[in-house]
Amino acid sequence: MAEGTTLDELIGTRTAVSTVVVERGPVGFFADCVFDESPESHDPAAAAAAGHAGVVATPTFPIAFESWGRFAELQNEAEQGPGMMAALAPLVAKGGLILHGEQSFHYHRPVVVGDVLRGEGTIVDAYAKESKGKTMTFVVTETVWTDAESGEPVVTSRFNIIHRI
Amino acid sequence: MSTLTSENATVGMEAPVLRHTLTRTDLVRYAGASGDYNPMHHDEVKATAAGQPSVFGHGMLSMGFLGSAVTAFAGAGSVVDYAVRFSRQTWPGEELITSVTVSAVRDEAGERLADLDVRLTNADGEEKVVGTATVRLATGA
Repeated sequence: MAEGTTLDELIGTRTAVSTVVVERGPVGFFADCVFDESPESHDPAAAAAAGHAGVVATPTFPIAFESWGRFAELQNEAEQGPGMMAALAPLVAKGGLILHGEQSFHYHRPVVVGDVLRGEGTIVDAYAKESKGKTMTFVVTETVWTDAESGEPVVTSRFNIIHRI
Repeated sequence: MSTLTSENATVGMEAPVLRHTLTRTDLVRYAGASGDYNPMHHDEVKATAAGQPSVFGHGMLSMGFLGSAVTAFAGAGSVVDYAVRFSRQTWPGEELITSVTVSAVRDEAGERLADLDVRLTNADGEEKVVGTATVRLATGA
Protein backbone atom coordinates (compact mmCIF):
# COMPACT_ATOMS: atom_id res chain seq x y z
CA MET A 1 0.00 0.00 0.00
CA ALA A 2 2.03 2.93 -1.30
CA GLU A 3 1.46 6.45 -0.02
CA GLY A 4 -1.81 7.79 -1.40
CA THR A 5 -3.07 4.34 -2.43
CA THR A 6 -6.81 4.02 -1.91
CA LEU A 7 -8.33 0.96 -0.32
CA ASP A 8 -9.94 0.03 -3.66
CA GLU A 9 -6.50 -0.04 -5.27
CA LEU A 10 -5.29 -2.43 -2.57
CA ILE A 11 -7.75 -5.08 -3.79
CA GLY A 12 -5.96 -7.55 -6.04
CA THR A 13 -2.52 -6.98 -4.48
CA ARG A 14 -0.50 -10.20 -4.54
CA THR A 15 0.87 -10.48 -0.99
CA ALA A 16 3.00 -13.61 -1.20
CA VAL A 17 3.77 -16.72 -3.20
CA SER A 18 5.20 -19.61 -1.20
CA THR A 19 6.07 -23.26 -1.60
CA VAL A 20 5.95 -25.14 1.70
CA VAL A 21 6.71 -28.66 2.90
CA VAL A 22 4.40 -30.17 5.53
CA GLU A 23 6.59 -31.96 8.10
CA ARG A 24 5.75 -34.33 10.95
CA GLY A 25 7.52 -32.45 13.79
CA PRO A 26 5.73 -29.12 13.25
CA VAL A 27 2.38 -30.86 12.61
CA GLY A 28 2.59 -32.86 15.85
CA PHE A 29 3.84 -29.94 17.95
CA PHE A 30 1.14 -27.61 16.57
CA ALA A 31 -1.53 -30.20 17.42
CA ASP A 32 -0.13 -30.45 20.97
CA CYS A 33 -0.18 -26.66 21.35
CA VAL A 34 -3.91 -26.45 20.47
CA PHE A 35 -4.65 -29.56 22.59
CA ASP A 36 -5.64 -31.73 19.60
CA GLU A 37 -5.09 -35.30 20.79
CA SER A 38 -6.30 -36.98 17.58
CA PRO A 39 -4.11 -40.10 17.09
CA GLU A 40 -4.18 -39.43 13.30
CA SER A 41 -2.36 -36.12 13.93
CA HIS A 42 0.47 -37.79 15.87
CA ASP A 43 0.85 -41.42 14.85
CA PRO A 44 1.55 -42.55 11.24
CA ALA A 45 -0.01 -45.98 11.92
CA ALA A 46 -3.24 -44.41 13.22
CA ALA A 47 -3.36 -42.06 10.20
CA ALA A 48 -2.84 -44.98 7.78
CA ALA A 49 -5.47 -47.08 9.57
CA ALA A 50 -7.96 -44.23 9.07
CA GLY A 51 -7.16 -44.18 5.34
CA HIS A 52 -5.00 -41.05 5.24
CA ALA A 53 -1.90 -40.69 3.06
CA GLY A 54 0.09 -39.32 6.02
CA VAL A 55 -0.17 -37.85 9.51
CA VAL A 56 -3.08 -35.39 9.32
CA ALA A 57 -2.54 -31.70 10.09
CA THR A 58 -4.97 -30.16 12.60
CA PRO A 59 -7.53 -27.82 10.91
CA THR A 60 -5.82 -24.51 11.75
CA PHE A 61 -2.27 -25.66 10.87
CA PRO A 62 -2.22 -23.72 7.53
CA ILE A 63 -1.65 -20.56 9.64
CA ALA A 64 1.84 -21.99 10.39
CA PHE A 65 2.77 -23.20 6.86
CA GLU A 66 5.06 -20.30 6.05
CA SER A 67 6.75 -20.31 9.48
CA TRP A 68 7.93 -23.90 9.28
CA GLY A 69 8.30 -25.49 5.83
CA ARG A 70 9.08 -22.51 3.59
CA PHE A 71 12.58 -23.55 2.57
CA ALA A 72 14.60 -20.94 0.63
CA GLU A 73 15.63 -23.28 -2.19
CA LEU A 74 11.97 -23.98 -3.04
CA GLN A 75 11.02 -20.34 -3.56
CA ASN A 76 10.96 -18.40 -6.81
CA GLU A 77 12.08 -14.94 -5.72
CA ALA A 78 10.96 -13.43 -9.05
CA GLU A 79 7.30 -13.99 -8.18
CA GLN A 80 7.37 -12.75 -4.58
CA GLY A 81 4.86 -10.18 -3.39
CA PRO A 82 5.58 -7.66 -0.62
CA GLY A 83 3.95 -9.78 2.12
CA MET A 84 0.69 -8.90 3.81
CA MET A 85 2.18 -6.76 6.59
CA ALA A 86 4.38 -4.83 4.13
CA ALA A 87 1.30 -4.16 2.00
CA LEU A 88 -0.39 -2.75 5.10
CA ALA A 89 2.66 -0.81 6.37
CA PRO A 90 1.31 2.69 5.60
CA LEU A 91 -1.84 1.84 7.56
CA VAL A 92 0.18 0.47 10.49
CA ALA A 93 2.45 3.57 10.41
CA LYS A 94 -0.54 5.73 11.40
CA GLY A 95 -0.58 3.97 14.80
CA GLY A 96 -3.73 2.41 16.17
CA LEU A 97 -4.39 -1.23 16.79
CA ILE A 98 -4.29 -4.23 14.45
CA LEU A 99 -6.78 -6.98 15.30
CA HIS A 100 -7.45 -10.38 13.79
CA GLY A 101 -11.17 -10.09 13.15
CA GLU A 102 -12.14 -13.29 11.38
CA GLN A 103 -10.49 -16.40 9.97
CA SER A 104 -11.67 -19.26 7.79
CA PHE A 105 -10.34 -22.40 6.13
CA HIS A 106 -12.00 -24.27 3.28
CA TYR A 107 -10.61 -27.75 2.67
CA HIS A 108 -10.75 -29.74 -0.59
CA ARG A 109 -8.86 -32.58 1.11
CA PRO A 110 -6.97 -32.98 4.41
CA VAL A 111 -3.41 -31.63 4.62
CA VAL A 112 -1.01 -34.47 5.45
CA VAL A 113 2.67 -34.82 6.31
CA GLY A 114 4.66 -35.12 3.08
CA ASP A 115 2.54 -32.61 1.19
CA VAL A 116 4.37 -29.96 -0.82
CA LEU A 117 1.99 -27.06 -1.32
CA ARG A 118 2.08 -23.84 -3.29
CA GLY A 119 0.23 -20.84 -1.84
CA GLU A 120 -0.78 -17.64 -3.57
CA GLY A 121 -1.98 -14.84 -1.31
CA THR A 122 -4.10 -11.95 -2.60
CA ILE A 123 -5.88 -9.06 -0.92
CA VAL A 124 -9.48 -9.75 -1.97
CA ASP A 125 -11.33 -7.01 -0.06
CA ALA A 126 -10.54 -3.72 1.69
CA TYR A 127 -12.94 -1.15 3.08
CA ALA A 128 -13.29 1.35 5.93
CA LYS A 129 -16.14 2.08 8.34
CA GLU A 130 -16.62 4.75 10.99
CA SER A 131 -17.68 3.33 14.36
CA LYS A 132 -17.94 5.18 17.72
CA GLY A 133 -15.58 7.92 16.51
CA LYS A 134 -12.97 5.41 15.34
CA THR A 135 -11.99 4.48 11.80
CA MET A 136 -12.09 0.74 11.29
CA THR A 137 -10.28 -0.51 8.16
CA PHE A 138 -10.97 -4.10 7.10
CA VAL A 139 -8.53 -5.96 4.86
CA VAL A 140 -9.21 -9.54 3.74
CA THR A 141 -6.33 -11.68 2.44
CA GLU A 142 -7.09 -14.99 0.75
CA THR A 143 -4.39 -17.63 0.27
CA VAL A 144 -5.12 -20.48 -2.13
CA TRP A 145 -2.96 -23.57 -1.44
CA THR A 146 -2.62 -26.16 -4.18
CA ASP A 147 -0.66 -29.41 -4.44
CA ALA A 148 2.68 -28.25 -5.91
CA GLU A 149 2.93 -31.35 -8.10
CA SER A 150 -0.63 -31.92 -9.35
CA GLY A 151 -1.97 -28.37 -9.10
CA GLU A 152 -5.11 -29.71 -7.38
CA PRO A 153 -6.66 -27.35 -4.81
CA VAL A 154 -6.06 -28.36 -1.17
CA VAL A 155 -7.06 -25.58 1.24
CA THR A 156 -8.02 -21.90 1.01
CA SER A 157 -7.43 -19.60 3.97
CA ARG A 158 -9.10 -16.19 4.52
CA PHE A 159 -7.50 -13.83 7.03
CA ASN A 160 -9.47 -10.72 8.01
CA ILE A 161 -7.46 -7.93 9.61
CA ILE A 162 -9.05 -4.95 11.32
CA HIS A 163 -7.05 -1.74 11.80
CA ARG A 164 -8.66 0.53 14.39
CA ILE A 165 -7.60 4.13 14.97
CA MET B 1 -11.91 -42.52 16.09
CA SER B 2 -14.90 -40.21 15.76
CA THR B 3 -18.05 -40.23 17.84
CA LEU B 4 -20.07 -38.40 15.16
CA THR B 5 -20.84 -40.67 12.19
CA SER B 6 -23.14 -40.65 9.16
CA GLU B 7 -25.38 -43.14 11.03
CA ASN B 8 -25.82 -41.28 14.32
CA ALA B 9 -25.63 -37.60 13.24
CA THR B 10 -28.76 -35.69 14.23
CA VAL B 11 -29.54 -32.00 14.56
CA GLY B 12 -28.94 -30.82 18.13
CA MET B 13 -26.30 -33.45 18.92
CA GLU B 14 -23.53 -31.94 21.08
CA ALA B 15 -19.82 -32.76 21.07
CA PRO B 16 -18.02 -33.62 24.30
CA VAL B 17 -16.95 -30.36 25.96
CA LEU B 18 -13.22 -29.56 26.19
CA ARG B 19 -11.99 -27.29 28.99
CA HIS B 20 -8.58 -25.71 29.40
CA THR B 21 -7.26 -23.05 31.78
CA LEU B 22 -4.93 -20.82 29.77
CA THR B 23 -1.35 -20.28 31.02
CA ARG B 24 1.44 -17.99 29.85
CA THR B 25 3.39 -21.13 28.91
CA ASP B 26 0.54 -22.10 26.54
CA LEU B 27 1.02 -18.73 24.80
CA VAL B 28 4.79 -19.17 24.47
CA ARG B 29 4.35 -22.68 23.07
CA TYR B 30 1.71 -21.51 20.58
CA ALA B 31 3.92 -18.58 19.51
CA GLY B 32 6.62 -21.09 18.58
CA ALA B 33 4.26 -23.56 16.93
CA SER B 34 2.55 -20.91 14.81
CA GLY B 35 5.41 -18.47 14.24
CA ASP B 36 3.32 -15.57 15.60
CA TYR B 37 5.78 -13.55 17.69
CA ASN B 38 3.58 -10.51 18.29
CA PRO B 39 4.95 -9.41 21.72
CA MET B 40 1.40 -8.78 23.01
CA HIS B 41 1.18 -12.58 23.40
CA HIS B 42 4.45 -13.29 25.24
CA ASP B 43 6.08 -10.06 26.51
CA GLU B 44 4.34 -8.85 29.68
CA VAL B 45 6.47 -5.66 29.79
CA LYS B 46 5.45 -4.59 26.28
CA ALA B 47 1.82 -5.67 26.75
CA THR B 48 1.37 -3.60 29.94
CA ALA B 49 3.23 -0.64 28.36
CA ALA B 50 0.65 -0.83 25.54
CA GLY B 51 -2.15 -0.51 28.12
CA GLN B 52 -3.13 -4.18 28.30
CA PRO B 53 -3.65 -5.75 31.76
CA SER B 54 -1.28 -8.60 30.79
CA VAL B 55 -0.26 -10.68 27.80
CA PHE B 56 -3.30 -12.14 26.03
CA GLY B 57 -3.98 -15.22 23.93
CA HIS B 58 -3.57 -15.51 20.17
CA GLY B 59 -6.97 -15.55 18.47
CA MET B 60 -5.67 -18.49 16.46
CA LEU B 61 -4.91 -20.42 19.66
CA SER B 62 -8.60 -20.05 20.60
CA MET B 63 -9.66 -21.12 17.09
CA GLY B 64 -7.23 -24.04 17.28
CA PHE B 65 -8.52 -25.25 20.65
CA LEU B 66 -12.12 -25.00 19.46
CA GLY B 67 -11.09 -26.93 16.32
CA SER B 68 -9.73 -29.69 18.57
CA ALA B 69 -13.25 -30.18 19.95
CA VAL B 70 -14.43 -30.57 16.32
CA THR B 71 -11.77 -33.15 15.36
CA ALA B 72 -12.30 -35.10 18.62
CA PHE B 73 -16.01 -35.26 17.68
CA ALA B 74 -15.93 -35.80 13.90
CA GLY B 75 -12.41 -37.16 13.30
CA ALA B 76 -9.04 -35.77 12.15
CA GLY B 77 -9.21 -34.78 8.48
CA SER B 78 -13.01 -34.48 8.50
CA VAL B 79 -13.16 -30.67 8.32
CA VAL B 80 -14.39 -29.17 5.03
CA ASP B 81 -15.09 -25.63 6.26
CA TYR B 82 -14.18 -23.85 9.48
CA ALA B 83 -14.91 -20.13 9.87
CA VAL B 84 -14.89 -17.97 13.00
CA ARG B 85 -15.12 -14.43 14.28
CA PHE B 86 -12.92 -13.37 17.21
CA SER B 87 -15.22 -11.70 19.76
CA ARG B 88 -12.96 -11.01 22.75
CA GLN B 89 -9.40 -11.45 23.96
CA THR B 90 -8.46 -14.41 26.17
CA TRP B 91 -6.37 -13.99 29.33
CA PRO B 92 -4.00 -16.23 31.32
CA GLY B 93 -5.92 -17.85 34.18
CA GLU B 94 -9.20 -17.98 32.25
CA GLU B 95 -10.87 -21.34 31.73
CA LEU B 96 -11.82 -21.79 28.06
CA ILE B 97 -14.79 -24.03 27.31
CA THR B 98 -15.79 -25.41 23.90
CA SER B 99 -19.33 -25.80 22.57
CA VAL B 100 -19.98 -27.71 19.32
CA THR B 101 -23.55 -28.52 18.20
CA VAL B 102 -24.85 -30.14 15.01
CA SER B 103 -27.08 -27.62 13.18
CA ALA B 104 -27.76 -29.59 9.97
CA VAL B 105 -27.09 -32.96 8.37
CA ARG B 106 -27.13 -33.02 4.56
CA ASP B 107 -25.93 -34.82 1.44
CA GLU B 108 -23.80 -33.01 -1.11
CA ALA B 109 -22.02 -34.48 -4.15
CA GLY B 110 -22.41 -38.01 -2.82
CA GLU B 111 -21.05 -37.17 0.63
CA ARG B 112 -22.84 -36.93 3.96
CA LEU B 113 -21.97 -33.67 5.72
CA ALA B 114 -22.80 -32.12 9.08
CA ASP B 115 -22.88 -28.38 9.76
CA LEU B 116 -21.78 -27.41 13.25
CA ASP B 117 -22.28 -24.28 15.36
CA VAL B 118 -19.07 -23.70 17.30
CA ARG B 119 -18.41 -21.38 20.23
CA LEU B 120 -15.65 -20.81 22.78
CA THR B 121 -16.50 -19.10 26.08
CA ASN B 122 -14.90 -18.57 29.48
CA ALA B 123 -16.37 -19.91 32.74
CA ASP B 124 -18.61 -16.79 33.04
CA GLY B 125 -20.13 -17.54 29.63
CA GLU B 126 -18.32 -14.62 27.96
CA GLU B 127 -17.98 -15.35 24.24
CA LYS B 128 -14.40 -15.48 22.88
CA VAL B 129 -14.86 -17.10 19.45
CA VAL B 130 -18.00 -17.92 17.50
CA GLY B 131 -18.45 -19.56 14.11
CA THR B 132 -19.42 -22.56 12.05
CA ALA B 133 -17.79 -25.70 10.73
CA THR B 134 -18.76 -28.31 8.16
CA VAL B 135 -17.44 -31.87 8.52
CA ARG B 136 -17.50 -34.89 6.23
CA LEU B 137 -19.14 -37.77 8.08
CA ALA B 138 -17.48 -41.15 8.23
CA THR B 139 -19.45 -44.37 8.35
CA GLY B 140 -19.39 -45.88 11.84
CA ALA B 141 -18.15 -49.38 10.95
